[in-house]
Amino acid sequence: MMEGEFKIRVTYAMRGRLVMLSHLEVARALERAVRRADLPFAVTQGFSPHMKLAFGAALPVGVGGDHEIFDVTMTEYVDPDEALRRLQDASPYDLMPESVEYITREVKAASVAYPFGTYRAVFDGPVDGLQVPDSITVIRKKKEKQLRPADFLVGALEKNGNEMLFTLEAKPSGSLRPDVLVNAMLDGAEDGLVNTDLGAARSDTRLHVVSLMRIAQRAE
Amino acid sequence: MTTDLWPQVERLLRESGRSIERPTRYLNHEWGCTYKPDAAYRFCMVYPDTYELGQANQAVRILCNRVNLVEGMAAERAYVPADDMADAMRAAGIPAFSMESCAPIAEFDAVGITLPHELAATNVLQLLDLAGIPLRTENRTENDPLVMGGGPCVLNAEPYAPFFDVLMLGEGEEVLPELLRMHRDMLAQGVSRADMLHAMAKVPGVYVPSLYDVVSEAEAQERGSWIVPKYDDIPTVIEKRIWEGFATSDAYEPQVVPYAELIHDRLNIEILRGCTRGCRFCQAGMMYRPVRERSADNIVAAAIRGLSETGYDEVSLTSLSTTDHSQIEDILRRLNRTFEGTGISVSIPSQRLDSFGVDMAELVAGGKRGGLTFAPEAGTQRLRDVINKNVTEEDLFTAVRASFEAGWRRCKLYFMIGLPTETDDDIKGIASLVQRAYDVAKQATPEGQRGNIRMSASCALFVPKAQTPFQWDGQIAPEEAIRRINLLRNSVKYRAIDIHWHAPDVSQVEAMMSRGGREVADVVEAAWRKGEHFDAWTEKFSLDAWKEACAECGVDFEGTAQRTYDTDYIPPWAHLSLGIQTRYFQRERQLADEAKTTPDCTYEHCTVCGVCMGLGSKIQLQGVRS
Ligand code: SF4
Repeated sequence: MMEGEFKIRVTYAMRGRLVMLSHLEVARALERAVRRADLPFAVTQGFSPHMKLAFGAALPVGVGGDHEIFDVTMTEYVDPDEALRRLQDASPYDLMPESVEYITREVKAASVAYPFGTYRAVFDGPVDGLQVPDSITVIRKKKEKQLRPADFLVGALEKNGNEMLFTLEAKPSGSLRPDVLVNAMLDGAEDGLVNTDLGAARSDTRLHVVSLMRIAQRAE
Repeated sequence: MTTDLWPQVERLLRESGRSIERPTRYLNHEWGCTYKPDAAYRFCMVYPDTYELGQANQAVRILCNRVNLVEGMAAERAYVPADDMADAMRAAGIPAFSMESCAPIAEFDAVGITLPHELAATNVLQLLDLAGIPLRTENRTENDPLVMGGGPCVLNAEPYAPFFDVLMLGEGEEVLPELLRMHRDMLAQGVSRADMLHAMAKVPGVYVPSLYDVVSEAEAQERGSWIVPKYDDIPTVIEKRIWEGFATSDAYEPQVVPYAELIHDRLNIEILRGCTRGCRFCQAGMMYRPVRERSADNIVAAAIRGLSETGYDEVSLTSLSTTDHSQIEDILRRLNRTFEGTGISVSIPSQRLDSFGVDMAELVAGGKRGGLTFAPEAGTQRLRDVINKNVTEEDLFTAVRASFEAGWRRCKLYFMIGLPTETDDDIKGIASLVQRAYDVAKQATPEGQRGNIRMSASCALFVPKAQTPFQWDGQIAPEEAIRRINLLRNSVKYRAIDIHWHAPDVSQVEAMMSRGGREVADVVEAAWRKGEHFDAWTEKFSLDAWKEACAECGVDFEGTAQRTYDTDYIPPWAHLSLGIQTRYFQRERQLADEAKTTPDCTYEHCTVCGVCMGLGSKIQLQGVRS
């Protein structure tokens, strides 16, 4: 950030059908919203100039967020309420900005600002039977890897009727994706096996995820 | 009330996890969509390929906008689901659906399918089948939607004829809303499907194939036409429609901004229509005559408004020949000034050798130095005169010199193999031309950077197209094509030059489709039943399947693609007219044999193709072209 530049952090909700967007697609959609809002965004120098934007921690395809963040560097100060109003007018309902605040250069980059994410998973039936497996096999760079959910879960996983609430910590060495955890629990309930291949055929009597949202993020 | 399939589709996508690629293809609610849930009459516009290929298509955009302007009418878009999704949809009993309201396509009052190129034919059947609409007009009932078609392939509509109730020839801006209003009124009056089709067949620019019998080849040559109308009051020749309002209409129009990543994802502003350079192989150049330009003010205003409404960071000034616009420099300068410092770039779809100066290069590229593409099409001046590609070697070398001096380092040249009258000298001429272009590039590049120079020639097999002066010329046999390409490869001495060659398989099917008669429709259906669709995707295409389909239907595959006729032969599309006189095609074909060129009527005088007189239209320029 250069002298004379200002940085805003925008909090937005991502929900409905737009939870299907990939991180890259979200990034592009947000950039277009900033352009439509006609904010005085700063542009990088060089051969292919682009908007100075930074995004929060990525959400897997299919997972939404109630309070996600992105940062925009601007060349002029705009009243935050005014900036928010313009952004909202330029955004689709399912990708809607909810607050704008100015941040200083000391504030951590959006992508690493909040290592702790709390998720709410809603199912189409009671979740009592679901158990957290000891270990989950995931494929990383074509290699199988064992992840222990206990290493990532912070506090207890709460079950309540058709809902489940849990907090995961993103570690520098890697993280456990919330959808992978949920699917492993569903697979375990179905056949006693743990299978993270999301495309695997499943019987139709099992529970289905109705929605999976990151409802809160925090720094510690 | 329309059915909303979204809950089912959403569940399918969620449950399938990663086994369905790019779920974004099937989302809707993109920015800029038009929703008219209360409209009583509903039209669905289909692009016969996947979302990524179809979303940027201008015909879909323009026609949806035109229909949505009509009170009480809604236009929605639809694309062909990729195979992973199509399989999952079939298993779950979900039919093909529209984007905006995720409604079954079969529930719409009318379905319009644009036919952009020959290889989309099998996708039409794929889509109709997934939608649960009978493939052939003869099997459709009063409850099925009206299936309409338009676009370049209607120039020889016969291979598509049985699959469409109604086909539209030429520009659809006026005729489509006109037909839909008619349809709506007749539905309200309870008119039968048969009577509706009969009434529509009388509308100018409209072809209702089921109302015409097809005669034998011998009889066709005798009568001067392959079709015989079943009623006295429908035309024997269908003339294309021209939208007279194009030049004066607002260049701005709403554009949907996709969430999915597309190849050409940018704001498009159509700045002019038509190109009369008169290349003798080019169907588009014949199709969109006469040339009509929009004004610089109109274009600049549309770009500014379009960018602020879409949030795109690129605007493309589209047309068949953007740099021919009489005010192009003024337009580019104004846009560049307006968007300075915003990271927005202005682009044009292709560069022209004879009008591409350094100034222009700087104006479109901004700071970027990507690859340049030029299309000399043929390797010798003689053959370029034959095809009426009015560019000289000097034009090419000047453009290459200018661009490499200005910092470009990559250049790709396009050529066609198998053009009428081509000899081995012309093939060797390609090698010589590319090598000399490389020498020019080298001289124009500082010594230390010469290692970065990339010069390549991209070659494709010539496909004879209906409604062009070369419509009577056969395609060369694939073995001969391979011999010629090998000759070219052996003639290139510079290791730094790459020769790219598109395998001739696809081009053979294109030629067969481009020149065949109504019997080819059976081939299309047989090929589709063998699993052919997404034929434009190399990995899905099978030449053998097409050949087998031809054999089953008794169609001579090679003959249809390769036979050469005299210019008094009546082709299967003789009843479909662009307003261009057959005499003009014949004269142009004769001039080709003499290697004589014909000038562009927007730069010099009228060369009497017949469109302006025949269709009561005229060239509309904003200034003098130079
Ligand atoms: S009729 Fe003449 S002026 Fe009109 S498009 Fe044809 S050649 Fe050009």
